[in-house]
Amino acid sequence: MKDGWLQRLQDELAQAWAVTVKDMKVYYLRPGMIMFGLFMPFFMFFSFSVRREMAAAQGVARLLALTTFFTAAAAGPFIIPLERRLGTYDRLLAAPMSLLTLLLGKTAVGAIFAIGVSAVALLGGVVAFGASIAQPWLLAAGVLLGSFSFSALGLIFGSIPARNPGDVMMPSTLLRWGLLFISGVFVPLAEMGAVARVLAYLSPLTYAQDLMNHAVLGMGLLDPWLDIGVLLVSGVLFLVPSVLMHQRSRRLGY
Amino acid sequence: MTNTIEVKSLTKYYGRPGAGPSARLRAGVLAVDHVNFEVHQGEVFGFLGPNGAGKTTTQRMLTTLLEPTEGRILIHGHDLARDAYPVKRRMGLVPEESNVYTELTAWDNLMFTARLYRVSRGERAARARELLETFGLWEKRDVKAQDFSKGMRRRLSIAMAIIHKPALLFLDEPTPGLDAQSARAIRGLIRQLSAEGTTIFLTTHQIEEANQLCDRVAIINHGQIAAIDTPERLKQAFRRVQSVEVALEPDGQAHGEPLSALAGVTTLVKMGDKWRLYTQDPSALLPQVMDYARSRELRVVSLSTLGPSLEDVFLEITGQQVGTVQHKAEGSKPRRRGMGGRR
Repeated sequence: MKDGWLQRLQDELAQAWAVTVKDMKVYYLRPGMIMFGLFMPFFMFFSFSVRREMAAAQGVARLLALTTFFTAAAAGPFIIPLERRLGTYDRLLAAPMSLLTLLLGKTAVGAIFAIGVSAVALLGGVVAFGASIAQPWLLAAGVLLGSFSFSALGLIFGSIPARNPGDVMMPSTLLRWGLLFISGVFVPLAEMGAVARVLAYLSPLTYAQDLMNHAVLGMGLLDPWLDIGVLLVSGVLFLVPSVLMHQRSRRLGY
Repeated sequence: MTNTIEVKSLTKYYGRPGAGPSARLRAGVLAVDHVNFEVHQGEVFGFLGPNGAGKTTTQRMLTTLLEPTEGRILIHGHDLARDAYPVKRRMGLVPEESNVYTELTAWDNLMFTARLYRVSRGERAARARELLETFGLWEKRDVKAQDFSKGMRRRLSIAMAIIHKPALLFLDEPTPGLDAQSARAIRGLIRQLSAEGTTIFLTTHQIEEANQLCDRVAIINHGQIAAIDTPERLKQAFRRVQSVEVALEPDGQAHGEPLSALAGVTTLVKMGDKWRLYTQDPSALLPQVMDYARSRELRVVSLSTLGPSLEDVFLEITGQQVGTVQHKAEGSKPRRRGMGGRR
């Protein structure tokens, strides 16, 4: 019985990884992914950072938070509706794996993309601006957990039963922009008013930015363990609505 | 006889039960209405029906893509609602649209599916090669599927569905839109899979294809099973749908009205350069057709009597009509279309 369980777990992990690798091959170079996942965070960064007084380390921390956030959250709303339209999503839903396995595989697609783009951003920051990393392990934790959490967030929008990426990209982008401005990325938490700060605490991006501040600048406003915990828990919680929405679609025939 | 699929009182409503201003909307739209049937192990089972009859909805419920509103599905003895995993492992699905990954090569498409179905590492490459050779795609194994023709994509799609050697294969409209050569190759493959013991659930509206391939067919209409039997027994049950087919020279639309006025003709259909006259009594009609040809000094190029085809049975049951020029007899002659379905 135990062997059966272990074998099933091993199978499910291998299937999730197969989905991830397939998506990486098929979608990473698609214009939609490059536009929303690669260019968008850099455009956002330069739009709000050029000609403003800012230390190199502060800029790197901000850029890392932006890249993990925008890049990871772009995958789900782009890939899943596209696969629905092409009929390839049915192939995955009919395969012998659990829905959670499929969603974990899809989450990893966005997370790995975000980790890759963040690595490029980090390299650029270190080489071009001479920024140094105060606590590398916190940086690794921030990028990994932030990418996981934000990719799971994007998956919620991908779970809307639409067949056109544009239909879900719009609400997804709207939410991301909203979170961006309440999350202490452009206005530090310490400078926010009481109401704004309460709003900021509702956004997982706040904790990702704070963790990046700890990692790069060596200081943040919140306890880094709180940041890590919130990112981990929010990532898991974000999977719940995706599961429920998939179950609902299967029940109602959307 | 062992059943691979057992469907009991399967029902599907679309829409949100409880939502909407009217009772009809609150109930949802009924797509499949308490359907019952069995598919025997190793048989090719045809599932026929006009557009919107409930074919695809039924197939999506059988393949776990859609949750039934009511009813029970047993596949290989497993209740699909409670224990879908072992069923999914032994099931292959070829949907209507060839859902291959166009950015991947034929080889990568097969490797991905093999990983998804946990085909062992040692078997994957050998199985992929075997299938690519069988489907005539081995030379194109490194070509991305985006450069494939529709027929090649279809073949690849089927190869992906059977890479794990499923005991049950669902095929949704496998040949429409394909050239004759590709369609014939796919029919040959279906026969081969069936000979090897695979149970095949073939959803189609290609009646002749079902006639050639299926051991039994079910005809679904308005969400209900209208008939289930072997093609030959269904034809026997509809002996009244017989016809006389004649080709006249010179041909022309002008023959339509006088031919349809001959005694005993229920429906007249122009089929290419031939006229098909449906009747319950071909022997009484034949001399009338000859008399008509003689009186107009026409040459009879060919003349034959035909028993009911599976298409005729299908049309009789579903109340549809052949999609060619059709001349209805004048007056109160009975019309095939008006005969209605058999529930």
